[in-house]
Amino acid sequence: MRVAFVGKGGSGKSTIAGTIARLLARDGAKVLALDVDTLPGLAFSLGMGKIGDGGLPEGLAEKREGKGWVMREEISAEALVDEHALDAPDGVRFLQLGKLPGRVRPGSTTAFRHVVDSFRRPGWSLVGDLAAGPRQGSFGWAGFATAVVLITEPTAAGLLAVGRLRRALPARAGTVLGLVLNKVREARPPALEAAGLPVWAEVPYDEAVAAAEREGRAPLDVAPDGPGVMAMRELLSALRDADPGTITA
Amino acid sequence: MKIGVFGKGGIGKTTIAAIIARELARRGRPVVALDCDTNPNLGIALGVPPERTERLAGIRQALGEGKVEHAPVAAELLERFGTDAPEGIRLAVVNRIENPNPG
Repeated sequence: MRVAFVGKGGSGKSTIAGTIARLLARDGAKVLALDVDTLPGLAFSLGMGKIGDGGLPEGLAEKREGKGWVMREEISAEALVDEHALDAPDGVRFLQLGKLPGRVRPGSTTAFRHVVDSFRRPGWSLVGDLAAGPRQGSFGWAGFATAVVLITEPTAAGLLAVGRLRRALPARAGTVLGLVLNKVREARPPALEAAGLPVWAEVPYDEAVAAAEREGRAPLDVAPDGPGVMAMRELLSALRDADPGTITA
Repeated sequence: MKIGVFGKGGIGKTTIAAIIARELARRGRPVVALDCDTNPNLGIALGVPPERTERLAGIRQALGEGKVEHAPVAAELLERFGTDAPEGIRLAVVNRIENPNPG
Protein backbone atom coordinates (compact mmCIF):
# COMPACT_ATOMS: atom_id res chain seq x y z
CA MET A 1 0.00 0.00 0.00
CA ARG A 2 1.32 3.42 -0.96
CA VAL A 3 -1.05 5.99 0.45
CA ALA A 4 -0.87 9.79 0.70
CA PHE A 5 -3.08 11.82 3.01
CA VAL A 6 -3.99 15.28 1.79
CA GLY A 7 -6.51 17.86 2.97
CA LYS A 8 -7.22 21.25 4.40
CA GLY A 9 -5.36 22.35 7.50
CA GLY A 10 -6.74 20.81 10.65
CA SER A 11 -8.81 18.22 8.80
CA GLY A 12 -7.02 15.37 10.56
CA LYS A 13 -4.43 14.17 8.05
CA SER A 14 -1.76 13.43 10.66
CA THR A 15 -4.16 11.87 13.13
CA ILE A 16 -5.55 9.44 10.58
CA ALA A 17 -2.25 8.80 8.76
CA GLY A 18 -0.47 7.89 11.99
CA THR A 19 -3.24 5.55 13.05
CA ILE A 20 -3.41 3.86 9.63
CA ALA A 21 0.38 3.38 9.66
CA ARG A 22 0.27 1.61 13.02
CA LEU A 23 -2.79 -0.48 12.18
CA LEU A 24 -1.00 -1.67 9.03
CA ALA A 25 2.06 -2.55 11.06
CA ARG A 26 -0.01 -4.40 13.66
CA ASP A 27 -1.38 -6.49 10.82
CA GLY A 28 2.16 -7.54 10.00
CA ALA A 29 3.11 -5.08 7.27
CA LYS A 30 6.44 -3.30 7.09
CA VAL A 31 5.55 0.38 7.14
CA LEU A 32 7.46 3.54 6.32
CA ALA A 33 5.62 6.59 7.64
CA LEU A 34 6.61 9.88 6.08
CA ASP A 35 5.84 13.30 7.48
CA VAL A 36 6.22 15.72 4.61
CA ASP A 37 4.18 18.45 6.28
CA THR A 38 5.82 21.83 6.77
CA LEU A 39 4.03 21.95 10.12
CA PRO A 40 4.83 18.44 11.26
CA GLY A 41 2.47 16.43 13.44
CA LEU A 42 2.74 12.79 12.43
CA ALA A 43 5.20 11.92 15.21
CA PHE A 44 2.50 12.73 17.79
CA SER A 45 -0.18 10.58 16.20
CA LEU A 46 2.27 7.69 15.78
CA GLY A 47 2.85 7.82 19.51
CA MET A 48 6.46 9.05 19.47
CA GLY A 49 5.78 11.69 22.07
CA LYS A 50 7.62 14.60 20.50
CA ILE A 51 8.13 16.37 17.21
CA GLY A 52 11.45 17.25 15.67
CA ASP A 53 13.47 14.07 15.22
CA GLY A 54 13.82 11.74 12.28
CA GLY A 55 14.91 14.19 9.63
CA LEU A 56 17.47 13.69 6.92
CA PRO A 57 20.61 15.77 7.44
CA GLU A 58 20.57 18.90 5.36
CA GLY A 59 24.11 18.09 4.22
CA LEU A 60 22.76 15.29 2.03
CA ALA A 61 21.34 17.92 -0.31
CA GLU A 62 22.95 20.77 -2.17
CA LYS A 63 21.80 23.56 -4.42
CA ARG A 64 23.19 23.35 -7.94
CA GLU A 65 23.26 26.01 -10.57
CA GLY A 66 20.26 25.60 -12.82
CA LYS A 67 19.06 22.42 -11.13
CA GLY A 68 17.89 23.63 -7.76
CA TRP A 69 18.17 21.36 -4.73
CA VAL A 70 19.41 17.85 -5.47
CA MET A 71 20.94 15.00 -3.47
CA ARG A 72 24.67 15.49 -3.14
CA GLU A 73 25.50 11.86 -3.88
CA GLU A 74 23.81 8.89 -5.43
CA ILE A 75 22.39 7.10 -2.46
CA SER A 76 19.47 4.72 -2.50
CA ALA A 77 16.24 5.60 -0.77
CA GLU A 78 16.44 2.26 1.04
CA ALA A 79 19.87 3.10 2.45
CA LEU A 80 18.65 6.50 3.61
CA VAL A 81 15.69 4.94 5.35
CA ASP A 82 17.87 2.32 7.03
CA GLU A 83 20.28 4.93 8.27
CA HIS A 84 18.01 7.80 9.23
CA ALA A 85 14.47 6.60 9.88
CA LEU A 86 13.40 6.30 13.51
CA ASP A 87 11.60 3.40 15.13
CA ALA A 88 8.02 4.25 15.98
CA PRO A 89 5.60 2.04 17.96
CA ASP A 90 4.44 -1.27 16.42
CA GLY A 91 7.59 -1.42 14.29
CA VAL A 92 6.71 1.49 12.03
CA ARG A 93 9.73 3.29 10.58
CA PHE A 94 9.41 7.06 10.56
CA LEU A 95 11.04 9.78 8.48
CA GLN A 96 10.48 13.48 8.91
CA LEU A 97 10.90 15.23 5.58
CA GLY A 98 9.09 18.49 6.24
CA LYS A 99 10.95 21.64 7.13
CA LEU A 100 12.21 21.66 10.65
CA PRO A 101 12.69 25.25 11.73
CA GLY A 102 16.31 26.00 12.49
CA ARG A 103 17.48 22.61 11.29
CA VAL A 104 16.66 22.28 7.61
CA ARG A 105 16.80 25.10 5.15
CA PRO A 106 13.66 25.58 3.10
CA GLY A 107 14.40 24.22 -0.34
CA SER A 108 16.69 21.38 0.68
CA THR A 109 13.62 19.27 1.42
CA THR A 110 12.70 19.23 -2.25
CA ALA A 111 15.80 17.12 -2.84
CA PHE A 112 14.43 14.57 -0.39
CA ARG A 113 11.36 14.01 -2.52
CA HIS A 114 13.44 11.49 -4.40
CA VAL A 115 13.47 9.36 -1.26
CA VAL A 116 9.71 9.29 -1.25
CA ASP A 117 9.47 8.55 -4.96
CA SER A 118 12.12 5.91 -5.26
CA PHE A 119 11.60 3.81 -2.14
CA ARG A 120 10.69 0.43 -3.62
CA ARG A 121 11.39 -2.20 -1.01
CA PRO A 122 9.27 -5.29 -1.67
CA GLY A 123 6.54 -5.90 0.85
CA TRP A 124 6.70 -2.42 2.36
CA SER A 125 3.86 0.04 2.67
CA LEU A 126 4.28 3.80 2.52
CA VAL A 127 2.06 6.17 4.45
CA GLY A 128 2.62 9.86 3.68
CA ASP A 129 1.25 12.83 5.60
CA LEU A 130 1.35 15.85 3.28
CA ALA A 131 1.19 19.56 4.02
CA ALA A 132 -2.16 21.30 4.12
CA GLY A 133 -3.53 22.87 1.00
CA PRO A 134 -2.93 22.28 -2.69
CA ARG A 135 0.73 23.27 -2.87
CA GLN A 136 2.51 19.97 -2.18
CA GLY A 137 0.04 17.86 -4.07
CA SER A 138 0.55 20.01 -7.12
CA PHE A 139 4.33 19.88 -6.93
CA GLY A 140 4.71 16.16 -6.95
CA TRP A 141 4.91 15.17 -3.31
CA ALA A 142 1.99 12.80 -3.74
CA GLY A 143 3.73 11.15 -6.69
CA PHE A 144 4.69 8.07 -4.68
CA ALA A 145 1.10 7.20 -3.88
CA THR A 146 -1.14 4.68 -5.55
CA ALA A 147 -3.99 5.74 -3.26
CA VAL A 148 -4.68 9.33 -2.30
CA VAL A 149 -6.97 10.00 0.64
CA LEU A 150 -8.60 13.43 0.65
CA ILE A 151 -9.60 14.22 4.21
CA THR A 152 -12.16 16.85 5.04
CA GLU A 153 -14.38 17.94 7.83
CA PRO A 154 -18.01 18.06 6.79
CA THR A 155 -17.98 21.77 5.99
CA ALA A 156 -18.49 23.87 2.85
CA ALA A 157 -14.92 25.19 3.09
CA GLY A 158 -13.60 21.66 3.48
CA LEU A 159 -15.39 20.45 0.37
CA LEU A 160 -14.14 23.45 -1.63
CA ALA A 161 -10.62 22.48 -0.53
CA VAL A 162 -11.29 18.92 -1.71
CA GLY A 163 -12.21 20.25 -5.15
CA ARG A 164 -9.06 22.36 -5.29
CA LEU A 165 -6.84 19.53 -4.13
CA ARG A 166 -8.34 17.22 -6.66
CA ARG A 167 -7.63 19.67 -9.47
CA ALA A 168 -4.12 20.24 -8.17
CA LEU A 169 -3.22 16.56 -8.07
CA PRO A 170 -1.81 15.44 -11.41
CA ALA A 171 -4.06 12.71 -12.78
CA ARG A 172 -2.09 9.50 -13.04
CA ALA A 173 -3.06 6.09 -14.25
CA GLY A 174 -3.03 3.54 -11.47
CA THR A 175 -3.80 6.02 -8.70
CA VAL A 176 -7.12 5.90 -6.89
CA LEU A 177 -8.69 8.80 -5.01
CA GLY A 178 -11.16 8.62 -2.17
CA LEU A 179 -12.71 10.83 0.44
CA VAL A 180 -12.70 10.60 4.22
CA LEU A 181 -15.15 12.68 6.19
CA ASN A 182 -13.57 13.41 9.54
CA LYS A 183 -14.96 14.70 12.83
CA VAL A 184 -18.51 14.06 11.67
CA ARG A 185 -21.06 15.08 14.28
CA GLU A 186 -24.39 14.84 12.54
CA ALA A 187 -25.54 15.01 8.96
CA ARG A 188 -23.39 14.94 5.87
CA PRO A 189 -22.84 18.32 4.19
CA PRO A 190 -25.20 18.97 1.27
CA ALA A 191 -22.44 19.45 -1.31
CA LEU A 192 -20.86 16.07 -0.61
CA GLU A 193 -22.31 14.22 -3.57
CA ALA A 194 -20.97 16.89 -5.91
CA ALA A 195 -17.42 15.92 -4.96
CA GLY A 196 -17.96 12.83 -7.07
CA LEU A 197 -15.52 10.72 -5.07
CA PRO A 198 -16.06 7.46 -3.25
CA VAL A 199 -16.40 7.97 0.50
CA TRP A 200 -13.92 5.51 1.99
CA ALA A 201 -14.83 6.29 5.58
CA GLU A 202 -16.82 8.56 7.83
CA VAL A 203 -14.94 9.13 11.04
CA PRO A 204 -17.20 10.40 13.82
CA TYR A 205 -16.14 13.17 16.15
CA ASP A 206 -14.59 11.33 19.07
CA GLU A 207 -13.78 13.16 22.29
CA ALA A 208 -11.08 10.58 23.09
CA VAL A 209 -9.33 11.29 19.76
CA ALA A 210 -9.58 15.01 20.50
CA ALA A 211 -8.03 14.35 23.91
CA ALA A 212 -5.19 12.42 22.27
CA GLU A 213 -4.59 15.38 19.95
CA ARG A 214 -4.56 17.76 22.90
CA GLU A 215 -1.96 15.66 24.68
CA GLY A 216 0.16 14.86 21.62
CA ARG A 217 -0.52 11.13 21.94
CA ALA A 218 -1.55 8.46 19.48
CA PRO A 219 -5.30 7.84 19.19
CA LEU A 220 -4.44 4.14 19.09
CA ASP A 221 -2.83 4.41 22.53
CA VAL A 222 -5.60 6.52 24.05
CA ALA A 223 -8.80 5.09 22.62
CA PRO A 224 -8.11 1.98 20.51
CA ASP A 225 -11.71 0.81 20.70
CA GLY A 226 -13.41 4.19 20.45
CA PRO A 227 -15.63 5.13 17.52
CA GLY A 228 -12.91 7.28 15.90
CA VAL A 229 -10.28 4.54 15.72
CA MET A 230 -12.93 1.96 14.76
CA ALA A 231 -13.82 4.10 11.74
CA MET A 232 -10.11 4.36 10.89
CA ARG A 233 -9.96 0.55 10.88
CA GLU A 234 -12.78 0.61 8.36
CA LEU A 235 -10.82 3.09 6.30
CA LEU A 236 -7.90 0.69 6.26
CA SER A 237 -10.03 -2.10 4.87
CA ALA A 238 -11.52 0.26 2.27
CA LEU A 239 -7.97 1.20 1.30
CA ARG A 240 -7.02 -2.45 0.98
CA ASP A 241 -9.92 -2.95 -1.42
CA ALA A 242 -9.19 0.19 -3.44
CA ASP A 243 -5.41 0.49 -3.56
CA PRO A 244 -3.80 -1.28 -6.51
CA GLY A 245 -0.32 -0.45 -5.34
CA THR A 246 0.91 -3.31 -3.19
CA ILE A 247 4.63 -3.62 -3.77
CA THR A 248 5.23 -7.15 -4.93
CA ALA A 249 8.39 -7.03 -6.99
CA MET B 1 -5.32 49.49 10.83
CA LYS B 2 -3.61 46.52 9.13
CA ILE B 3 -4.25 43.14 10.71
CA GLY B 4 -2.67 39.82 9.78
CA VAL B 5 -4.19 36.59 11.10
CA PHE B 6 -1.84 33.61 11.39
CA GLY B 7 -1.95 30.07 12.73
CA LYS B 8 -1.94 26.35 12.06
CA GLY B 9 -4.58 24.87 9.78
CA GLY B 10 -8.10 24.41 11.01
CA ILE B 11 -7.87 26.64 14.06
CA GLY B 12 -10.15 29.35 12.72
CA LYS B 13 -7.93 31.99 11.04
CA THR B 14 -10.40 32.52 8.22
CA THR B 15 -13.47 32.61 10.44
CA ILE B 16 -11.92 35.10 12.86
CA ALA B 17 -10.44 37.27 10.08
CA ALA B 18 -13.86 37.46 8.42
CA ILE B 19 -15.62 38.41 11.65
CA ILE B 20 -13.06 41.15 12.35
CA ALA B 21 -13.43 42.46 8.78
CA ARG B 22 -17.21 42.55 8.91
CA GLU B 23 -17.28 44.06 12.37
CA LEU B 24 -14.91 46.86 11.28
CA ALA B 25 -16.96 47.49 8.15
CA ARG B 26 -20.17 47.53 10.15
CA ARG B 27 -18.68 50.30 12.29
CA GLY B 28 -18.18 52.40 9.22
CA ARG B 29 -14.58 51.71 8.27
CA PRO B 30 -13.57 50.99 4.71
CA VAL B 31 -12.17 47.43 4.73
CA VAL B 32 -10.04 45.44 2.32
CA ALA B 33 -10.00 41.71 3.02
CA LEU B 34 -6.99 39.91 1.55
CA ASP B 35 -6.98 36.14 1.40
CA CYS B 36 -3.32 35.12 1.42
CA ASP B 37 -3.98 31.40 1.95
CA THR B 38 -3.21 29.04 -0.95
CA ASN B 39 -6.48 27.41 -0.03
CA PRO B 40 -8.58 30.59 -0.13
CA ASN B 41 -11.88 30.42 1.75
CA LEU B 42 -12.14 33.93 3.20
CA GLY B 43 -14.91 34.81 0.76
CA ILE B 44 -17.20 32.11 2.12
CA ALA B 45 -16.60 33.24 5.68
CA LEU B 46 -17.37 36.83 4.71
CA GLY B 47 -20.64 35.73 3.13
CA VAL B 48 -19.66 35.69 -0.54
CA PRO B 49 -21.26 32.73 -2.34
CA PRO B 50 -18.84 29.77 -2.78
CA GLU B 51 -19.09 29.88 -6.60
CA ARG B 52 -18.04 33.53 -6.66
CA THR B 53 -15.28 32.91 -4.10
CA GLU B 54 -13.99 30.11 -6.31
CA ARG B 55 -13.90 32.31 -9.42
CA LEU B 56 -11.61 34.96 -7.92
CA ALA B 57 -8.21 34.97 -9.61
CA GLY B 58 -5.05 35.00 -7.52
CA ILE B 59 -3.38 38.39 -7.94
CA ARG B 60 0.10 36.91 -7.72
CA GLN B 61 -0.66 34.34 -10.42
CA ALA B 62 -2.27 36.96 -12.65
CA LEU B 63 0.77 39.21 -12.33
CA GLY B 64 3.11 36.29 -12.91
CA GLU B 65 1.30 35.29 -16.06
CA GLY B 66 1.74 38.75 -17.51
CA LYS B 67 -1.94 39.62 -17.56
CA VAL B 68 -0.98 42.96 -16.09
CA GLU B 69 1.54 44.93 -18.13
CA HIS B 70 3.19 47.15 -15.56
CA ALA B 71 3.22 47.23 -11.81
CA PRO B 72 -0.16 48.69 -10.94
CA VAL B 73 -1.08 50.37 -7.71
CA ALA B 74 -2.89 48.40 -5.05
CA ALA B 75 -6.21 50.12 -5.66
CA GLU B 76 -6.09 49.13 -9.29
CA LEU B 77 -5.40 45.49 -8.42
CA LEU B 78 -8.28 45.45 -5.96
CA GLU B 79 -10.58 46.95 -8.54
CA ARG B 80 -9.54 44.53 -11.21
CA PHE B 81 -9.21 41.25 -9.30
CA GLY B 82 -11.37 41.85 -6.24
CA THR B 83 -15.03 41.37 -5.60
CA ASP B 84 -17.57 43.07 -3.36
CA ALA B 85 -18.36 41.31 -0.11
CA PRO B 86 -21.09 42.17 2.43
CA GLU B 87 -20.96 45.48 4.40
CA GLY B 88 -19.02 47.13 1.57
CA ILE B 89 -15.86 45.05 2.07
CA ARG B 90 -13.58 44.63 -0.95
CA LEU B 91 -12.18 41.09 -1.11
CA ALA B 92 -9.18 39.91 -3.12
CA VAL B 93 -7.26 36.64 -3.30
CA VAL B 94 -3.48 36.86 -3.34
CA ASN B 95 -2.59 33.26 -4.16
CA ARG B 96 -4.43 30.56 -5.97
CA ILE B 97 -2.78 27.32 -6.99
CA GLU B 98 -4.93 25.80 -9.66
CA ASN B 99 -3.50 24.30 -12.79
CA PRO B 100 -0.01 23.54 -11.66
CA ASN B 101 2.93 22.41 -13.65
CA PRO B 102 4.32 19.52 -11.62
CA GLY B 103 8.03 18.79 -11.44
